[in-house]
Amino acid sequence: MSTQLVGHPNEPRPRGSGAFRPISAYPTIGNAAHCGTCFSSSKRAKQALFFGIFALLASALLAQQPDAILKHAIALHQAGDLDAAIKAYRDYLAVEPDSLQARSNLGAALARAGRYDEAIAEYNAGLQKSPDNPALLMNLGLAYYKTGRHAEAAARFERAVTLSPQFKDQVTLLLAACYNNLGRYKDAVALLAPLEKDKAGDAGFDYLYGTALIGDGQEGGAAVINRILSHGDSAEAYLLRGTLELTAHDRDAARADLEKAVALNARLPGAHARLGELLLVLGESERARVAFTQELALDPDEFTSNLNMGVLAKEDQAYVEARRYLERALRTRPNDPGVRYQMANVDLATGNLEPARQSLETLTKESPDFAEAHATLATVYYRMNRSADGDRERAISQKLMDQRDALPAGTKPR
Amino acid sequence: MKRWFAGAAVCAAVYALWASVGRAQPEARRPHFTDIASKSAFTYKTENNFTGRKYFPQTMCGGVAAFDFDNDGRMDLFFTNGAKLPEMEKTDPRFYNCLLHNRGDGTFEDVTAHAGLLGKDLGFSFGVAAGDYDNDGHEDLFICNAGRNTLYHNNGDGTFTDVTERSGITKPKDLLSVAAAWFDYDNDGKLDLIVSNYTVWTPQTDKVCAINGQEYYCHPKIYPSVADRLYHNLGNGRFEDVTDSAGFGKDLGKGMGIAIADFNRDGYMDVFVANDTVRNFLFINQKNGTFKESGYEWGVAYDENGNAHSSMGADAKDFDNDGFPDLFYNNLKGQIWGLFRNMGGKYMSYVSGMSHVSRLSEHSSGWSNGFIDYNNDGWKDLYSSNGDIDDMGQVSRQPDTLFENVDGKEFRDVSNQVGADFSHAGFQRGSAFVDLNNDGFQDLVVTSLFEKPRILMNSADNGNHWLLVNTIGRRSNRDGIGAVMKLTTGSGRTLYNHVTTSDGFMSSSDKRVHFGLGAEKTIESLEIRWPSGVVQTLKRVKADQILTVTEAAK
Repeated sequence: MSTQLVGHPNEPRPRGSGAFRPISAYPTIGNAAHCGTCFSSSKRAKQALFFGIFALLASALLAQQPDAILKHAIALHQAGDLDAAIKAYRDYLAVEPDSLQARSNLGAALARAGRYDEAIAEYNAGLQKSPDNPALLMNLGLAYYKTGRHAEAAARFERAVTLSPQFKDQVTLLLAACYNNLGRYKDAVALLAPLEKDKAGDAGFDYLYGTALIGDGQEGGAAVINRILSHGDSAEAYLLRGTLELTAHDRDAARADLEKAVALNARLPGAHARLGELLLVLGESERARVAFTQELALDPDEFTSNLNMGVLAKEDQAYVEARRYLERALRTRPNDPGVRYQMANVDLATGNLEPARQSLETLTKESPDFAEAHATLATVYYRMNRSADGDRERAISQKLMDQRDALPAGTKPR
Repeated sequence: MKRWFAGAAVCAAVYALWASVGRAQPEARRPHFTDIASKSAFTYKTENNFTGRKYFPQTMCGGVAAFDFDNDGRMDLFFTNGAKLPEMEKTDPRFYNCLLHNRGDGTFEDVTAHAGLLGKDLGFSFGVAAGDYDNDGHEDLFICNAGRNTLYHNNGDGTFTDVTERSGITKPKDLLSVAAAWFDYDNDGKLDLIVSNYTVWTPQTDKVCAINGQEYYCHPKIYPSVADRLYHNLGNGRFEDVTDSAGFGKDLGKGMGIAIADFNRDGYMDVFVANDTVRNFLFINQKNGTFKESGYEWGVAYDENGNAHSSMGADAKDFDNDGFPDLFYNNLKGQIWGLFRNMGGKYMSYVSGMSHVSRLSEHSSGWSNGFIDYNNDGWKDLYSSNGDIDDMGQVSRQPDTLFENVDGKEFRDVSNQVGADFSHAGFQRGSAFVDLNNDGFQDLVVTSLFEKPRILMNSADNGNHWLLVNTIGRRSNRDGIGAVMKLTTGSGRTLYNHVTTSDGFMSSSDKRVHFGLGAEKTIESLEIRWPSGVVQTLKRVKADQILTVTEAAK
């Protein structure tokens, strides 16, 4: 699981949100809870006796002084002794299971320790008791963000801002990063455009804004790239420009820029993935595979790499592996039609016709212009001996593809 | 002393056992190909009349047919050629088609003029299909053109007569026909004809596409799709266009290569048509004179991601020897060549990835292609003639590829290990598989834009055994096209193949059915299922021979 911040390295973290920190500080208490770790004896019998006595004393103390345990936990947390703090918070919650503060702090300590799944469980437990707690929502959003669950992160950030507008400044860039990762470029542009006047020139902002503009196919992406480049050679700028060129099918230029981006900063999120996409287009699937693998080593949840590795694995008929990648991609973008379509193709290829039918029917209902999904659904119906349904889907797919073919041919050689 | 010898023998046996277990078995010597075209005096070069202006059909030039036009037992060669543009006429000899007579000594004689096959009155020629449509024992030729298509009747005296007009094989003049295949779709004993059509085009309607002032060959999307055409052989040299009534009229594509096989083993031949940038067609024979386009059902219309590619050549043979013909089409660089495994005659499974074909092929733009057991090991390998559409990229000229079949499961690239002449880089287009010297090993003939064709002789030096079967139909069509063969070797290994001349792109191959037998010298049985329904079984057939089999009466 990633402990890296997903998105741009310069992406600002929320300021003063108390993210992954204790909600409040309490004076430290005596060291009773830790005395066990100080004790040592060469004789086992004495040890056992002492532990027994100690356990009795400790439980008595715990029953009498829960607040002291919480204070001690917070002190440990603040001192950076996360394992001990987590244990202390759990001890406290065993006595006071409804303590929101302890639950939130436990989540924060777990998150700081990189144990995001446990943190998410604690935050969610806290939110069950207090669904509209903005601080808990913020922390939960951050934990989701760090685990690449951008859709869930975005939903929590949005809710937190609705409940407490003062969080808006802290969360805007994170939310925009989520939108970019989810392919919701239009939402990212809407969020960032009003800030351009004040934040233009800030590398993190420019990168997010440029990504959103280019992703949404809007003009203005090139201007943002130039703005970044005006500060000197920048991997981010080359990545953005390469992405722009890739979109415009200018493959030679895209290759030059994307390779430069990777050379300047091999850890730049998204750079290997874009290069991998280009290499696939160029028919260099082995190199593309390497690029996607490099991206996933930096961020195991990166969407494009998971999707393409899933497709490559599917083509190799390594269906278990394909599912693993595609499921990971779906975790990042839960409703992505492309990934769901590929999952349905895996189902079809492995003879699981019923799940393939169900997902393709849903997909074509949601995206009626998805010609390939209609075509595959036709094949599924034919395999299920539902000829009439197959004929219908085939006709729909054919019509859609004919419409696509009727579009202007473009200006590039094939 | 005696005991010492006994001990030594045991040691030797143990060592031999260890050696055989511990080391990989040495691979059989790999045959290689040598181009012998330069030994013969002929002037044919594939001439598409590229002079700066890029006319759409120029990318497709140089069809080739391997057939024995004079019944001397040696396969001869025929090549199609382009025309002057925009006139679209074969205005001078560089555009003429070409018939090469196989002298049997490694050289070929240009007999085109004598045979009446120069094609002076034809337009820009593309594909060619050889077949004895009138069952007179002489192989005839059909040529696809921009302009009128042409049926040449073999007169049996070394000459041909253009019988197009009286045959009834007509088409609109602006319909661009690319490839054709002979087959007997209704099993009435007469060869019918399927023609793949690409679009409607004339030099006057040709589109100009350019970027930064540099012209390039336009994307096919700007030209309309059209239907392929089916002509039913009525006998007496007459054909009827049954395109619409047989079910071919409503599916519009950009037809390229044609593969003929009985995919569902129901005794009737089916038709696969590779389409350029449009979904591929699989016409399944309904056994009543009609076909149902079943590409979706069979899973071959698109690749497994639902994408249509620039499918070019096509061939259908059984690469895994399971008794069902599989499918192979190629396409352009950056796309994935399609290899499909026939799943018991019910549908096709896309195996390009698992078989490594996708990775091996991604750098090549393929045109003509096919299954060829080049090393006679009993596993059909994959061949493709390659070269870019255009001359704009850095690697436009490309070498051909040969992917060796490993136990019917996967393929490995041996292109660089079969001789320098094989690796020639060019704008390769047509290709035919043929045993030119009757040594039981498949040779290759390949055309390339602006060049003489290569006549690539197989070195045939790995010691593997073989059988060539020449079928003569009686109730079935005389060529025996469509006859399905099952060969069982002495060890019980089963191999499958069928009679067809259609494979690849614009090309027509040796009609004799080829079997590589590996190290086995004995054939336990050879079962032939004729299109008429007659099943004929030959027992204990000698290997390493050209076996002529005449269809049994019953």
